[in-house]
Amino acid sequence: MMRPVIEKVGISAVQAIEEAGYQFSLFAESLYWLIVGPFLQQPVRLRIIVSEMMKIGVLAIPIVILLSFSNGVILALQGIATLKDFDAESQVIPGIAYSVTREFGVLIAAIVVAGRSGSAIAARIGSMQMSQEVDALRVMGIEPVRFLVAPIIVSMLIMMPVLTLFADAAAMIGGGLYTGIVLGLSLTTVLDRSFDVLVLYDVLQGIYKSLVFGLLIALVACSNGFSVTGGAEGLGRATTRSVVMSIAMIVVADMVFTYFLTR
Amino acid sequence: MYPVEENGGYSVVHLTGEVDLNCSPEARKVILECLRRNTPLLIDLSAVTHIDSSGIASLVEGYQVSRTLKLDFGLVGVSERAMSVLRLARLDQVFPIFASIEERLKPDPSQDV
Amino acid sequence: MNTAEQHSLRDPVIEVDGLVACYGSRKILDDVSFDVRSGEIMVIMGGSGSGKSTLLRHMLALNRAVSGSIRVFGLEMGGVSSRELHQLRQRMGVSFQNGALFNSLNVEDNVIFPLREHTVLDDNTMRIMARMKLEVVNMAGFEKLMPAQLSGGMAKRTALARAIVMDPKLLFFDEPSAGLDPVVSADLDELILRLRDAMDVSIVVVTHELDSAFRIADRILVLDKGKVLIIGTVDEVKNSDNERVQNLLNRRSEDVIVDPDEYMQRLTDELIGL
Repeated sequence: MMRPVIEKVGISAVQAIEEAGYQFSLFAESLYWLIVGPFLQQPVRLRIIVSEMMKIGVLAIPIVILLSFSNGVILALQGIATLKDFDAESQVIPGIAYSVTREFGVLIAAIVVAGRSGSAIAARIGSMQMSQEVDALRVMGIEPVRFLVAPIIVSMLIMMPVLTLFADAAAMIGGGLYTGIVLGLSLTTVLDRSFDVLVLYDVLQGIYKSLVFGLLIALVACSNGFSVTGGAEGLGRATTRSVVMSIAMIVVADMVFTYFLTR
Repeated sequence: MYPVEENGGYSVVHLTGEVDLNCSPEARKVILECLRRNTPLLIDLSAVTHIDSSGIASLVEGYQVSRTLKLDFGLVGVSERAMSVLRLARLDQVFPIFASIEERLKPDPSQDV
Repeated sequence: MNTAEQHSLRDPVIEVDGLVACYGSRKILDDVSFDVRSGEIMVIMGGSGSGKSTLLRHMLALNRAVSGSIRVFGLEMGGVSSRELHQLRQRMGVSFQNGALFNSLNVEDNVIFPLREHTVLDDNTMRIMARMKLEVVNMAGFEKLMPAQLSGGMAKRTALARAIVMDPKLLFFDEPSAGLDPVVSADLDELILRLRDAMDVSIVVVTHELDSAFRIADRILVLDKGKVLIIGTVDEVKNSDNERVQNLLNRRSEDVIVDPDEYMQRLTDELIGL
């Protein structure tokens, strides 16, 4: 009775490796087109990159700010409640400063982008795949990776750090406001104390992660989009899968990263 | 560069060879430059071996500009091949087409616009 | 001399030789050989599962062959460099079954798209070119519509305009009549014939529609279960005494000989408690 189970595990493992390989090839091909494309009169179009940056980044700013602000307040609430037992409420300020810049800012930005754009990208490429638009591009002599994937990767790599900075700022303001009220300090005082403890490396940790997460989201969404089969149901499955997979990969990658970055 | 000559008050643009994606921007430039000088225009296609849609599009643009400037415009020496391309988009019914430059320049009041 | 004989004297545009294609372990195409000559309309016919769509994908270099060779304009598709393929594809136009129009672009921008990507023409020239092609396919006045607003026939005609906007020398047409009513479908056939005559283009049409095939074809290739059943002029195909060809022409489904044991096995396979 064990054989079918082992078989299934084996098949899934092979599929996972195959998929990772495909995602890597999407990345490698995108790099190729970004570097070599302009010399072949097949550049990656700036116009498309800008429109992707708009969709992936600019339009996500309000929700990123809202979630990060709330997250900052939550951190303050929890921090003050816990630190009260040790009479160390004021230590919540460096606590928030570190955890937001190193961890939560980028995590929230990444999860928002994975949910918003990861699904949208997978759905868009998936429906293009189903309606043969991807084939149409190919037979016109327009490489789908150059035209569809490379602009998404570039705009992810630009917009994820930007969103992360927005998230950092909003969370620190949210946390700072609440902390200020409870401890009877002004927001500027709280933020001043936060910046006293922060070093550039703390913020950079978040930025490094944001680059990796952005790349993960882009590659997972694109590969899921291109591999859509089986009509509307398949499209829905690919969209969901792309969000779940990218969030899972983000959290796991975050753990691995944090392990190395904080030692 | 396509040769342009003055003949009986007309500028005559002689298009030659293959007027395709590579050459039609040049043809367009020459045609529009002639029209900027405010002279009526004849386009001689008799030495054209092949004209593609981009070439035809340049003719269309030239004709439209000459219409807004109220300048006379005509095609001469249209080969059977070129004619079939024009016919496909029903442009044969639009362009003033003449057998030769002489035919157009012949004093014939009935043909004047 | 009829047109078919004239074409037989011309150079081949596509040469397919011993093409074998598989999906997993299943053979989709088995030793398919034929050629398409300059200026002719070659219709590839077959029922569903005959392998005609796969054959089309191979001619478009979207799929790679297991064995055998395909040459398009003399270029071997198996070993073509990406640069050669890029140039080759600017000389080909493809009209896909449901149009495959870009959903985010309106009709005019869809037609202009290949020009924008491949040429450095003035914007005015590109627009006039696109509108001329829309005139050719009787889509004038619909430039600003989005693909979602188009009927099936309109989408196909727009796709055709996009396929011919670069004046290709080779045009592929996937199922022109599928999903269209007979009148619209006949119009489209008429258009295909006019294009061939005016543009000196070779056309490959993949279809399962007999009427359409007989109207437009110079030669017909009938595929059956991945093999070439017959290839010839319309008359040759009509007059063929091959039983399967006649079945196809008369739309008779073949009587399948039933093996009772095997049949029962198929119906009850993997059921429990029998």
